[in-house]
Amino acid sequence: MVSKIKKKTLSFQDTIFNLQKYWSKKGCVILQPYDLEVGAGTFHPATTLRSLGPKPWKTAYVQPSRRPTDGRYGDNPNRLQHYYQFQVLIKPSPKEIKKMYLNSLSSIGINHEEHDIRFVEDDWESPTLGAAGLGWEVWCDGMEVTQFTYFQQMAGVECKPVSVEITYGLERLCMFIQNKKSVFDLIWNDEGITYKDVFHQSEKEFSAYNFEYANTDNLFKIFEMFEEETKLLVEKKISLPAYDQCLKCSHVFNILDARGVISVAQRAEYIARIRELTKSIGKVWIESQS
Amino acid sequence: MSELFVELFSEEIPARLQVNARNELKKNIKNFFIDNQIKFNENFNVYSTPNRLVLHVDKIPNEIKLSSEEIKGPNVNAPEKALEGFIRSNNTIFEKIFKKNTEKGEFYFFNKESRKIKVSDLLEKNLSEILKKIAWNKSMKWANYDLYWGRPLKSILAIFNKKPLNFDFNHINSSNKTFIDKSLEEGMKIFNDFHSYLKFFKQKGIFIDQDLRKKIIQNKINEIINKKNLKIEQNDRLIDEIVNIVEKPAVIVCDFDKKFLNIPSEILITTMQSHQKYLPTFDKKNNLTNNFFVVSDIKDTKGFVKLGNQRVIEARLSDAEFFWEKNKTQNLVKQVDKLKNINYFKGLGSYFDKIQRMRKLSSLISDDFLISKDKIEIASSICKVDLMSDLVGEFPELQGIVGGHFARFQGFDKEVCLAVSEQYLPNGMESKLPKKMYSVALSLSDKLDSLVGFFGINLKPTSSKDPYTIRRMAISLIRLIVENEIKIKLKDLIVYTCSVYRDQGYEFDIKKIQNELSDFIIERLKNYLKEKKIRQDIIESSTFLIGLDDILKAYKKSLCLNKNIKKEIGFETIAAYKRSSNILNAEEKMSTKSLGFADPGLFKNDYEKKLYKKINDIRKYFLSIEKDENYEESLKILSSIKNEVNDFFDNVIVNDEDIIIKKNRLELLNMLCKTFDNYFNFSKIEA
Repeated sequence: MVSKIKKKTLSFQDTIFNLQKYWSKKGCVILQPYDLEVGAGTFHPATTLRSLGPKPWKTAYVQPSRRPTDGRYGDNPNRLQHYYQFQVLIKPSPKEIKKMYLNSLSSIGINHEEHDIRFVEDDWESPTLGAAGLGWEVWCDGMEVTQFTYFQQMAGVECKPVSVEITYGLERLCMFIQNKKSVFDLIWNDEGITYKDVFHQSEKEFSAYNFEYANTDNLFKIFEMFEEETKLLVEKKISLPAYDQCLKCSHVFNILDARGVISVAQRAEYIARIRELTKSIGKVWIESQS
Repeated sequence: MSELFVELFSEEIPARLQVNARNELKKNIKNFFIDNQIKFNENFNVYSTPNRLVLHVDKIPNEIKLSSEEIKGPNVNAPEKALEGFIRSNNTIFEKIFKKNTEKGEFYFFNKESRKIKVSDLLEKNLSEILKKIAWNKSMKWANYDLYWGRPLKSILAIFNKKPLNFDFNHINSSNKTFIDKSLEEGMKIFNDFHSYLKFFKQKGIFIDQDLRKKIIQNKINEIINKKNLKIEQNDRLIDEIVNIVEKPAVIVCDFDKKFLNIPSEILITTMQSHQKYLPTFDKKNNLTNNFFVVSDIKDTKGFVKLGNQRVIEARLSDAEFFWEKNKTQNLVKQVDKLKNINYFKGLGSYFDKIQRMRKLSSLISDDFLISKDKIEIASSICKVDLMSDLVGEFPELQGIVGGHFARFQGFDKEVCLAVSEQYLPNGMESKLPKKMYSVALSLSDKLDSLVGFFGINLKPTSSKDPYTIRRMAISLIRLIVENEIKIKLKDLIVYTCSVYRDQGYEFDIKKIQNELSDFIIERLKNYLKEKKIRQDIIESSTFLIGLDDILKAYKKSLCLNKNIKKEIGFETIAAYKRSSNILNAEEKMSTKSLGFADPGLFKNDYEKKLYKKINDIRKYFLSIEKDENYEESLKILSSIKNEVNDFFDNVIVNDEDIIIKKNRLELLNMLCKTFDNYFNFSKIEA
């Protein structure tokens, strides 16, 4: 019998290291996560604001992403209220971006000649960011592992030049690489630490906070305060601090949504309010770029 | 004779955009050949894979001859500059220009001699414009370029008569090369003709022709299902989508754990079809099996693709199972109150408000349908509860269906469960139509409530926009009524719906809603009849001045007349009517002074008497009809007047010298027309 040499399983942290190294070699600025609660890597100012305006820009970073409504108290093997995205943003979108992307998969052990890699239509829209893009979700043997988007619009402004955004869902990707059925079984490092060891308690407690304990009266007030602050900072023409305040609004809104205290009609109204903030910040940012 | 061969290589273009681009390119290139009077093989094809849009036209001449033509220039009195421009643009000299008189005065002319033009030159000049004219349903920009395309366009290969065509399309220069590897976009290769291109890719297992790919996939699937004694559901939309998301199709049979077959099959099927583009299989008794097909874009030599896809479906089905187990035991009745927290639509209250209205409405309908009031009220009360379940959150397209399963699990009456399942049906022209009275009643009340509500808050569709799919709702309402042959007083139901809204405190302009909604539904009925391929004049006449309560009648009559108009009973009826009405039309003044009947005492001959008697017989027939008119029978009776009418016209001169006799004869013909109009407005029918 021919015995195969078993390859060492790529740990969660090694997956991140490899992607960082790969995109670093492609000339990307490797940033660290933004230090505010955001719903996705796209909200990092290095994507939202930097995708606006004429200046070229290349970056890659990990971004913890919070989706309060997706919390399941750590009981569901596929859902988390806090997870990691690996985000790449390049402006203008390079000609060989598909090749770069497929090679990045090789760097974490997924060879496109052995797997059914598919680019499946998935146009993206973020109502709160006033953003829209065309692109795909990338499937690897039927599993969605990446979002691949050409930004057409951001903060209500047409993108010129167009940026390309690649967002890897790190947990999904690692579950695929490590062949795990539950996110909590993922191997975090070579010492045998698992995702469960690191995050299970957090999932449980934050689900309780998001769904049960968050003080909604206060949150409604806080939202107003952050909104007011954003507007003030926009007037002062300092876009980055204004954007921070706007991100805080967005997160407060997400918690209120998870608490189930926002009706459908109200929901649309809150989203529109955040969008208006983003748009006004985008304007100030663009002015600062020229 | 030569071939034109163009390949546009891009990043992966979505399936429906490929279809749209193929059609557009085909249309544009065809127009180009026709406009330039170039012969071409009209049976040409446009092919596509996700990355390649390929045009191939053969039997094109290398040259075309343009016959000589006189080109009109400026007026002789125009400024000299105009003449200079004319000379320059025609690449000629002053000596070759001549003057000529026309209707509009004297002009300069130039005689352009007949000449030959190379088709390749014309193509090089025009291809860029032809490509630009492709109207994408959705397109994008990328990098720094201004070009719009379905997805980033990378290269253009263009060949005519085995030689490259050179043109620029925005930032891209055409060439005779393309990428061999679609993934890494590497390995440029030269191709000089379509045949060698096809052959080259075929050797790599890649099929450019979408129809061929479809055949390959279907053959492989058929081979396997025959062997395994399975069936698949005919699903053209899904197959066509799959065909357009692979270039190298490989069919893989996968399976999932049989325990998941305990989940309602709709959930499994939706997961497989809509979310994963898998093809589910069924046994000979039409029960879903745990086998399914994946069409991969790569040969699964190491088994990774099968394994990966099986893992994905297991994860998705575990999720679905978890939600199903959780939701099915949550008491539907106890949850009804929670619908108060869910907004139905801004200005139309919560879903709780909506089901209260539906309950009253369906209860009223139940009297007409002779069904149990209790049951339909229960169905109305619980029908929207599933909207709050995790399962509908995950599978919004299964709203209603999921609710039906919950109801079944919780032991509700069979008819109630089915009504909840089918409450959203039909959904437009093509969709399945509920037949059971409880389902029809619930669906009707849902749609009526929505229509009245949306008209109440003035969100009517405009000519171009219908974001709330109100047209589709109205079409569905019409289908429920006419295809199930339901006799209901729609007008009263709308009035009642308005009053139910009013009881809840909505201040709608009820008169306005009734008028507008009535016009709207009749317009939709016309549209519906058009879809049913009814002749336009029949549609116009059957819907002329009808009320809402007559839509079933109008539908049946127009169907009957459409079917028979070319047959004897239709033809003769119309002929008799037209002969009479033509004369009346010629004597238009007559109609205003019509008494409405003829005086038998003034008849001069038997032909008049016989026609009079026949008309009265027909009138008696119409009076004797109670509820269930047989429209074909009526038409037959109308057509039976043929002999009396022919005899009358052959032997009687309407235009008698005696004005009183003449008038009486016109009255007789008027009686005939009025009697016929009673059945159908024949005046709008074209003979």
